[in-house]
Amino acid sequence: MRKHKRKKQIGAVGGNENGFVTRESDGGRKHKLTVIHQALIRDPVDIEALRRAAAGNGGLLTDELRRKVWPKLLNINVYKLPPKPGREVRENHKDYNQVVLDVRRSMKRFPKGMPASERAVLQEQLIDIILEVLKRNPQLHYYQGYHDVAVTLLLVVGERMSIAMLDTLSNFHLRDFMDPTMDSTKHILNYLMPILEQVDAELHDFMIRAEVGTIFALSWLITWYGHVLSEFRHTLRLYDFFLASHPLMPIYLAATIVLHREKEVKQTECDMAMVHHLLSHIPQDLPYELLICQAQDLFEQFPPSLLAKRAALQSRKSLSISSFQAFHLSTLHQRPDSVLQRLTRAQGYTTSRHGLEASPPAARGQLWREGNRMMKMAVWGLSATLGAAVFAVAQTAMDWGPDLILQLF
Amino acid sequence: MAESGSAAELSGSLTSSALPPPRTRIFKIIVIGDSGVGKTCLTFRFCAGRFPEKTEATIGVDFRERLVEIDGEKIKIQLWDTAGQERFRKSMVQHYYRNVHAVVFVYDVTNAASFRSLPAWIEECKQHALGTEVPRILVGNKCDLQDSVQVGTDVAQQFADAHSMPLFETSAKSPNSLGDGSYRDSDHVEAIFMTVAHKLKSQKPLVLSQPAEGSGSTVTLSGGRNDDGGGGRGWSCSSC
Ligand SMILES: Nc1nc2c(ncn2[C@@H]2O[C@H](COP(=O)(O)OP(=O)(O)OP(=O)(O)O)[C@@H](O)[C@H]2O)c(=O)[nH]1
Ligand SMILES: [Mg+2]
Repeated sequence: MRKHKRKKQIGAVGGNENGFVTRESDGGRKHKLTVIHQALIRDPVDIEALRRAAAGNGGLLTDELRRKVWPKLLNINVYKLPPKPGREVRENHKDYNQVVLDVRRSMKRFPKGMPASERAVLQEQLIDIILEVLKRNPQLHYYQGYHDVAVTLLLVVGERMSIAMLDTLSNFHLRDFMDPTMDSTKHILNYLMPILEQVDAELHDFMIRAEVGTIFALSWLITWYGHVLSEFRHTLRLYDFFLASHPLMPIYLAATIVLHREKEVKQTECDMAMVHHLLSHIPQDLPYELLICQAQDLFEQFPPSLLAKRAALQSRKSLSISSFQAFHLSTLHQRPDSVLQRLTRAQGYTTSRHGLEASPPAARGQLWREGNRMMKMAVWGLSATLGAAVFAVAQTAMDWGPDLILQLF
Repeated sequence: MAESGSAAELSGSLTSSALPPPRTRIFKIIVIGDSGVGKTCLTFRFCAGRFPEKTEATIGVDFRERLVEIDGEKIKIQLWDTAGQERFRKSMVQHYYRNVHAVVFVYDVTNAASFRSLPAWIEECKQHALGTEVPRILVGNKCDLQDSVQVGTDVAQQFADAHSMPLFETSAKSPNSLGDGSYRDSDHVEAIFMTVAHKLKSQKPLVLSQPAEGSGSTVTLSGGRNDDGGGGRGWSCSSC
């Protein structure tokens, strides 16, 4: 009985939201752009409004907006980005070989039309980004899949902002995955079955009988689905959502995906291999907006604290979960970019806004003209594949205002 | 499961003809070894018949299968392609060592470190009760890269002998163009996995039956045949 009722509830919420998707009009989009714009110029920045926008229908809509909102979601001052890593970042790092191996094999993560030479430049940047963050945080350990997170950031926000974002994510949202062992990760995965049990006991029991375990969801969790989705726009949509959410949210989404496929699962042979195989391959046409709503709904109904009371989850402490409150608080008092820029200038920082270059303004034009062909190629690669908006990234001195306003009309 | 002798004895009194058609038997084979040695490529080669253009890091466990026919019996070969990075070994892959019928250890002939890791992988298996009673083979991959070989056949053969495993050298990329001798030609990926399958089929059959919801000992009795039909290349000696 209880189960049935809950299912219905979830369905109803999702249904409404899905309706909004189909009805979504230019008007809705423009409204959202305005809301985001206003949240960004509020002082302090209206972080709750940005979170709602990122998680809500359609997410952050464009990469241009992501470049403005993502750093806010992680409390990053875009005028104080870390410098571009130098050569030394690659020197004797214990994970160097593994990182190179994984990045070289990550071709699928790059846009299909991108010329190989441009992809190669970005892959080199990807190696640098990962090693830079690992060097800054000796307590963190590389895992296969970390590169899937890094590449998603790189393709949207460029090298230097990626370092800042990845650094923060690694210390908070991804922290549990970066222990010396995967025991904490396993602990996080252990939240999955109790959620399923609450919503659909029958499905839960079926999966227990099949002894399928939860490893089918491992790559979903530790790459925020970047490893398993073939459409980059879907990955971006989920990153909007997760950047605005509790670190356990990927598990709640995993639960909604399994629940969404309930019939298929139950029709499969009750066998570990069969169920693992079915679940580990995500259908590419999932109704993401609906599932995101359902995940939020599940999160509210069965918050982590409630699930943690269950036996299997008691023993261990999750750093991602325990630090989330503090992280959340830290994001509440951010100044808008215009103020940050003024303050940063006043403090004598000369760093560029979006971080594709590390040189001071005077030298920048020169570098751009004569030097660093590799860098140019990378920027062009991005522009060609992700749309003209990316060109703004190259215009390092450009304020965020004009291009956003352009989009409003 | 695999070492359950009593279950196997049960089968002696029955024959396959006396029973309804058996369900397809499933041979579960786990493929392990360091990251980058080519586990995904090898399993893909066997199940899809070609070298994958792009592989990605395996996170956790992937699973591939192929239906083959051995001596007139259709058999499903299930390959568990595991993550190579050390951190995944202990807490993650564990779950999948259960109910495995055979183990394939893979190293990269162009990467000495991957060869040096083998004792750790063997130890890992032992900890999961996959000792010498379970068929195990050693595969040296990437033989097509002849100019960068770091692990010679003789060293590998010694190691394989010491652990009583057959050794196979092959290439997931171009298994048929291994230079000189025709004997090497026989070491293609297909043949390697089929050899394991033959070996498994030649074992006491019942233990390999697919359990019907946990009570495995009563179904899929294909009789006590032990004719070793296809394992002709022999088990104890390497064909390299
Ligand atoms: N030349 C050559 N390259 C190979 C061969 N087999 C695999 N490779 C390459 O080696 C790299 C690693 O292969 P994978 O199959 O992804 O390695 P893996 O063992 O599955 O690695 P993990 O999933 O990280 O554990 C890829 O770039 C393959 O293209 C081979 O037989 N010859
Ligand atoms: Mg692999």
